[in-house]
Amino acid sequence: MAIASRDHPHRKQQVSFGRRLYRFYNSQAFVAFLFLILPVSLLIILKIYPIFYNLYLSFTRYELFEPPRFVGLRNYRYIAQNSVARQSIWNTLLFTVQAVPLGTALALVVAKLLDENLYGKIMFRTLYYLPVISSVVVSAMIFRWIFNPQQGLLNYFLGFLGIPPQTWLSDPNLALPSLVMVTIWGSIGGNMIIFLAGLQDIPGDVLEAAKVDGANAFQRFLQITIPLMRPVILFVVVTFTISIFRNFGLIFMLTQGGPLNRTNTLVWEVYMSVFANLRLGRGAALSMVMLVMVFILTIINFRALRERQG
Amino acid sequence: MIARRPNTSKPLTKHVPKLLTYIVLSLGAAAMILPFIWMLSTSVKIDSEIFADTIQWLPSQFDFKNYIDAYQQTNMGRLFLNTGFVTFVSVASQVVLGAMAGYAFARLHFRGKNILFFSLLATMMVPFEVLIIPIFLFVRAFPLAGGNNILGQGGTGLFDTYAGLIFPNLISVFSIFLFRQFYLRFPHEIEEAAIVDGCSRVGVFWRILLPNSRPVIATMALFAFLWSWNDFLWPLVVVRSDSLNTLQLGLSLFNQEQGTQWAELMAASTMAVIPVVILYLLLQRFLTKGAVTSGID
Repeated sequence: MAIASRDHPHRKQQVSFGRRLYRFYNSQAFVAFLFLILPVSLLIILKIYPIFYNLYLSFTRYELFEPPRFVGLRNYRYIAQNSVARQSIWNTLLFTVQAVPLGTALALVVAKLLDENLYGKIMFRTLYYLPVISSVVVSAMIFRWIFNPQQGLLNYFLGFLGIPPQTWLSDPNLALPSLVMVTIWGSIGGNMIIFLAGLQDIPGDVLEAAKVDGANAFQRFLQITIPLMRPVILFVVVTFTISIFRNFGLIFMLTQGGPLNRTNTLVWEVYMSVFANLRLGRGAALSMVMLVMVFILTIINFRALRERQG
Repeated sequence: MIARRPNTSKPLTKHVPKLLTYIVLSLGAAAMILPFIWMLSTSVKIDSEIFADTIQWLPSQFDFKNYIDAYQQTNMGRLFLNTGFVTFVSVASQVVLGAMAGYAFARLHFRGKNILFFSLLATMMVPFEVLIIPIFLFVRAFPLAGGNNILGQGGTGLFDTYAGLIFPNLISVFSIFLFRQFYLRFPHEIEEAAIVDGCSRVGVFWRILLPNSRPVIATMALFAFLWSWNDFLWPLVVVRSDSLNTLQLGLSLFNQEQGTQWAELMAASTMAVIPVVILYLLLQRFLTKGAVTSGID
């Protein structure tokens, strides 16, 4: 240690074994090793090794009770040719397209409205955030009740508009939109928080200048806020999309992939392949498809982040 | 004098945008909490009111028996105990390991630091759902557990055990990232002064940095709590015995068994969300920062 040698320069050569041990123990590299060994080992086991093992499994036929057998690209060929597997990819994209634009727009509007001096601002923020902290299982149970064809709240409200009762979750055409509805409801609060932070970074004088130039609130929102928020919007779109890819609980609780496979998304297909049909190799290949889709989105995400900082 | 002009002389149209804002926000907020209000209202209703032809917003009588029924039928005491235990261990582990690794990455110099950090950070983007097969196989083949030999064969490893339930939740990259960001901004002078005074680096971390990390610890604890408490897919996959069921798992089974026993289902849901809502209300000021950093709910 620099300080110690300055105090006793002539004793530098004669440090005791205990002292040297302490210095080694206190050296930055050793402390770093001490602090990182457990977290890094766990992350290797839980994150890094599984990626490679999953890749290997995707080239095998593996039914859990027999050792995996290498079959090359057979699982991927299956995904490309099997109509249910292909539909699961299509449904995932359909889910995304229905939920992300609308959900993001609503979150942005709510954030913009909340970005003013309002009474009860914190109360509003709390209320909008409540669906986010509620678990998927609880949200799904509440909405199963709301979607109920006979006594459900949704049909009751639609009755005022003269719309006849629908069967929602068991209607092949409405099942996916119903899940989209719950997803948007559960996501507005989280995305709103990110947008609120982004809005705070918009320089006030720009908006003020536009105001002086005669732009109304709507024009300012469209022509200043949205362009300046572009990186944040991109960030929300990407993370929101990934969260939809991961959305398993809602499908398990509400539709189990049905009716007619209309809500069978990739994550559900993985679960069914592995834990219902014990086709681990096929499930691994489906997971890899999911990983590639997430990876593409992540690259976009990092671009957005760089833009956000730069 | 002009500034003291009473408000009423302002043209009424000035207030319209603000009023509109309130109306839109209130409608949105109503849509957000209506499901919860409906849950509460249903949970205390008697069946004849639930299945009545017209919607009854408020029950004519409060039937708290639904809560007792739901509690007993789901064995909810056990569910709370299991979930509480799993959540507590997960939160503690994610906070402590995250703080340790975050400190090492922010404050210590060693070879390969940046490469290591950024490769770990990159794994944050790999969703758990994608890796569930290899992680499941690893847990099942855990050496010397559940009848397994040292090579992890012969038994079921950590499958259907608390350890298996907790294992994937022991660490989060997000926690490491959050603590690193915090420690990067922590003043160096305090740390240096302590080292000059003869404090070891481990001591600096334990006595100075950790006690001063309360905001990050609160943020991280809240996130870890929400993830662990609300986790569903992993318990579904790794638990077989009823005695090991978590709250979410127990609720989903109850949901399948009960079909249309809405009062009991809603009573069970209410009991499951209340701890989360209370914790959120207590810690919500810590949540914003974390949500913004992570971009995940």
